[in-house]
Amino acid sequence: MKKKSLAAIMAMVLCTAILAGCGDGGKDGITVGISQFAVHGSLDNCREGFLAGLAEEGFVEGENLTVEYVNAQADTGTSAMTADNFVSKKVDMICAIATPTAMTAYNSTMNTEIPVIYTAVSDPVEAGLANADGTPVGNITGTSDALAVEAQLQMIREILPDAKKIGIIYTTSEANSISTVASYEEASPKYGFEIVTTGVTAMSEVPLAAADMATKVDCITNLTDNTVVSALQSVLEEANKANIPVFGSEVEQVRAGCVASMGLEYYELGRQTGKMAAMVLRGDAKASEMKFEVISEPSLYVNYAAAEKIGLELPAHYAEDAYQSFDEILVH
Amino acid sequence: MALLLSVLEQGMIYGILALGVYITYKILDFPDLTVDGSFPFGAALTVRLITMGMPPIVTLPAAFLGGALVGVCTGVIHVKMKVRDLLSGIIMMTGLYTVNLWVAGTGYVAIFNRETIFDNDAVNAFFPGAAGRLKTAVIILLITLGVKYLLDWYMGTKSGFLLRAVGDNDTIVTSLGVDKGLVKIVGLSIANGLVSLSGCIYAQQQRSFEISIGTGAVVIGLASVIMGTSLFKRVTLLRVTSSVVLGSVLYKGCVALAMFAGIDANAIKLITSVLFLVILVVSMDRRKGSLSQRRQHIT
Repeated sequence: MKKKSLAAIMAMVLCTAILAGCGDGGKDGITVGISQFAVHGSLDNCREGFLAGLAEEGFVEGENLTVEYVNAQADTGTSAMTADNFVSKKVDMICAIATPTAMTAYNSTMNTEIPVIYTAVSDPVEAGLANADGTPVGNITGTSDALAVEAQLQMIREILPDAKKIGIIYTTSEANSISTVASYEEASPKYGFEIVTTGVTAMSEVPLAAADMATKVDCITNLTDNTVVSALQSVLEEANKANIPVFGSEVEQVRAGCVASMGLEYYELGRQTGKMAAMVLRGDAKASEMKFEVISEPSLYVNYAAAEKIGLELPAHYAEDAYQSFDEILVH
Repeated sequence: MALLLSVLEQGMIYGILALGVYITYKILDFPDLTVDGSFPFGAALTVRLITMGMPPIVTLPAAFLGGALVGVCTGVIHVKMKVRDLLSGIIMMTGLYTVNLWVAGTGYVAIFNRETIFDNDAVNAFFPGAAGRLKTAVIILLITLGVKYLLDWYMGTKSGFLLRAVGDNDTIVTSLGVDKGLVKIVGLSIANGLVSLSGCIYAQQQRSFEISIGTGAVVIGLASVIMGTSLFKRVTLLRVTSSVVLGSVLYKGCVALAMFAGIDANAIKLITSVLFLVILVVSMDRRKGSLSQRRQHIT
């Protein structure tokens, strides 16, 4: 009997929890479902930027806009179900943040009228979301976070005039990383660099790979590789031991201790996406007719504390040119 | 409506996986972790064959046979090389990660504009207009039922009897002059064949492959088996294979319910585990009765 009452209590707790979650707002106005793939500094910035972009165009959350946000916790099954859930709730638009959610959102909305706006997709063509000329394959468009490889190489050359080898650690399973490594290898001879790569399959392999890498190269540059970025601190530690700089691929990495980056501001990327979304919501344009966009000008980020740690002098004009500079290393 | 269909579709796809897990976990008493590798293996093989331009229908037998081969490897590692059951699964699961990347080419493959078993001229002609929304669910239902009946039939054959005997009382099998190791290998190969088939269908329903889809597959499978076999134990009309598939649909249903109710996605795993516990506790209460009931879930 005890067990039964225990079970009953647990069931009741569960029901209350479900009911408590139910009372969402009114149905008037516009509803946008945001499906984000993982909890991740850059992706969170993207989402905030997206909402800010919408707000600037007159779609303000809580006033005339209802936002439903689901994070798939890096689980593709959950992201598929999230998209189906949005479709059955008949949202006016799905915003998909990162490649896997963009793919599942497109799959779920294929036979509906619901437009999908994606962001933080490195290679929409490779992911099957856009044709080679940038036009969408369906009622789906958005922004890409492809890295500015050339600008980054140029910056490294300026900071390290004598460097020869650049190390890149990447995850063999991340399609974004593989295609970015290829663009680095293609562009590096122009700047007199040789690219040394090490592939890893899990976060636990990153410290070893970094220790080995640090002995072989003059500096390390990061991609937006999810696994390696999650283990950024171990890369920095090994690089500091060997006294070589690590360059980041976006602002969060520079904040956390990379020396510099010609990178993306994910908040800006999100804002640009939000403006595209507003055009579609107003009916000014159709997602199926808009080419995907990229951020045209990468911005420079520097971290003076990180440079000082390894005794590196940064070019004087960076003080003025940097979009944002940090004087301390913020590890969160 | 779309969510309900999604639950049915995903539930039945994972139901095939759960049937595989049922063979290893309940019948062979073998905790087989190969599943986390053989599920994406079936998916990888499928997207490879489809991008090569093969007719989609070929992917179903190909994925089953490929998965069966994987199961044979696990079996050989366990039986012939005498590696412990859990370890042989872990070894295979780890190795398959690389194999899957090789087979698929990269960690992500999209097959949006390709023909799949759900989206080709023959199928589209059969489901015109509004019926098109149901075609995926109908096709999955047909495949899952087919697999279930084949498995039911197999369990009634001599080979199937031996399989059940190995998990229950392997001395009997030895006394019959049959090599019990061989029977285990056969069981593992059928199980992983089913798991791989499930991965094959999943990749076509999602129209993409992603290397991490296998993570946690064995947990979903186990949860479905346990939910199905404990909840529907009393329902004599249902065969255990049907209960397992229903268990899987129910599992996906719980996840969807939590999501539809707007519960924080971060909390979903905790809610499923609480629900899981509730079901286990409730079903244990019933089991206290007689021994014969206890045996029912084995036969």
